[in-house]
Amino acid sequence: MFEGVFTGLSTALMPFNLMMVVVGCFAGTFIGMLPGLGPISAVALMIPITYTLDPSSGIILMAGVYYGAVFGGSTSSILINAPGCASTLVTTFDGYPLAQKNQAGKALALAAYSSFCGGTVGAIILIFAAPALASVSLSFQSSDYFALMLLGLTSVAAFSGKGQVIKAMMMTVFGLMIATVGNDVITGAPRYTFGKMDLVDGISFLLLAMATFALAEVMMTIMRGKMFLTSQTMQPVALSSMKLSLDEVKEVAPTVARSSVFGFIVGVLPGAGATIASFLAYGLERNLAPERLRKMFGKGALRGLAAPEAANNAASTGSFVPLLTLGIPGSGTTAIMLGALIAYGIQPGPRLYVDHPDVFWSVIISMYFGNLVLLVLNLPLIPYISRLLAIPPQILNPLIIFFSIIGVYLVSFNTFDIQMMVFITLLAVGLKMLDFPMAPMLLGFILGGMLEKNLSRALVVSDGSFDFLWNRPLTFSIMSVTLIILLLPWILNLGKRLGTKLLSAAD
Amino acid sequence: MSLTKDRFGGLLFLLLSITYGYYAADIPLLPGDKFEPFHAQTMPYWLSGLGVIFSILLIVLKPAPTLESESISNSNLVLMLGLMAFTFAFSVALPWLGFPITTSVFLASSYWLLGERRPKMLVFASVPFALVFWLLLTQVLDVYIAPARLIFW
Repeated sequence: MFEGVFTGLSTALMPFNLMMVVVGCFAGTFIGMLPGLGPISAVALMIPITYTLDPSSGIILMAGVYYGAVFGGSTSSILINAPGCASTLVTTFDGYPLAQKNQAGKALALAAYSSFCGGTVGAIILIFAAPALASVSLSFQSSDYFALMLLGLTSVAAFSGKGQVIKAMMMTVFGLMIATVGNDVITGAPRYTFGKMDLVDGISFLLLAMATFALAEVMMTIMRGKMFLTSQTMQPVALSSMKLSLDEVKEVAPTVARSSVFGFIVGVLPGAGATIASFLAYGLERNLAPERLRKMFGKGALRGLAAPEAANNAASTGSFVPLLTLGIPGSGTTAIMLGALIAYGIQPGPRLYVDHPDVFWSVIISMYFGNLVLLVLNLPLIPYISRLLAIPPQILNPLIIFFSIIGVYLVSFNTFDIQMMVFITLLAVGLKMLDFPMAPMLLGFILGGMLEKNLSRALVVSDGSFDFLWNRPLTFSIMSVTLIILLLPWILNLGKRLGTKLLSAAD
Repeated sequence: MSLTKDRFGGLLFLLLSITYGYYAADIPLLPGDKFEPFHAQTMPYWLSGLGVIFSILLIVLKPAPTLESESISNSNLVLMLGLMAFTFAFSVALPWLGFPITTSVFLASSYWLLGERRPKMLVFASVPFALVFWLLLTQVLDVYIAPARLIFW
């Protein structure tokens, strides 16, 4: 393992890769600060740039952007009460009240320190957990992979929020449907191409990611009228001292430690991600806090700010575990990274640890550097970076649209792709207005090809019988977990209803 | 049964799944493929079936409390559609007018659509940007961008 760590260290320490971490963190912070654009959009916007780099540098850049965007989201949550992404929504609960008390500098510093600790704890656990899981998963067969992918797809849907499970499942199926467009990977038969040569290779992952996340998000921002926020509401509050007193550090230290470990565990669960981790960590801390401090939650409690920040960063790190070891992304952002790795010809999964140790370890090591960069470089520069928010939205939004479409065009040099993007963006906007989540669709699209290949292999080996689902103990266990996760929301709902009925009957 | 947002979405998806399943029959199979346990049509048929099941579940089950309803004004919808139309026009004009001209026009018109009316800003935030970006691509990064067909016929 230590040999691998040194390989990763030497790759991550290359001047060019260090520059990529710094550039990624800055770009991510800026994009993450823009209300409406979160880590998924930020990483999607970076994909065309990474195509010109080698795999390690490309993934390092994306990891930097990921961290930067989460940090940028926290910054806009604290300064202008506008979370850049869902995972920093909880940060507004106590971050913005702190800023209103003229403690914006302190709030930003605490957010950065908590994020750094969360990321550090996450990276340390990842160094030990990822290789262990990767070595176990070397014995996986097609049936196990099929079951694992099913688990990943189901979990993303199951954790997608109250009342959204069926819609998320539908979007997963929709993503799988889109993945079938183009020549069949096994037989080469054209599927859903309708005689159009442009569709023979299928729909590009980059096109889909850019259209559904970057372009559609900008369009939703315009439609919601958020780009017309007056300059007063977009004006960040003045920063104050960034120093924390010893007592304050003592107060938040246990919170940060607890939330980091907790966040990492939640992040490892496929589909759970940073948003759920931040909400759960906030709830946990509020329940654990003594009565006196509990009243402060929502009014500028330091613990209330530190808990979600540590948890969401640790969860971001944790979501790399299933991606790097099993090839199953734990969140929408890691789903985009999975697509980018596949585009490089690298198949994430247990073989990544053996075949591309430089990529595997450099990503892990550079994640830590990313946290360091955010703390050492970004935090002092926040007053200056936040001035970028002053770019008029009527100028900024067309530029984002331009970068999205040109990023796709410069990969294929085919204007049909831009037209396809327009169509998919309109579709995505319509689906978003009907409250359909987009991340399960992207995950379904990315895993679609692999799922079909593994299912086909498993079925051929078992001579067309579905007994492969329960013959191998490992496949059976994973399928059981999948079933439990799928049925859990219904069981919990049923339990709640029964409880309410019993209570009303008792009354 | 009222037509809620969820039911409308379910109906649309039901229609999509049925159409998807219908066109699965058009997928050509290799000789003898239909005796195999898995072929090019298998996955599309299963996905179509799953799509139909989930759509019916969404339509029939008691609709979940919807998220905050979005207040979208018609003028914002027109802005969004306008930007999409400009993007489409950009893709059509790009091979004919070339990168610098198409980009400049696309950016300036998008700024204008979103409310920028200062002529200096419209020109300086589009033309120099397009030229510098084009030079960066062609001269620094050595990316080949086809010349305009109308000019270099």
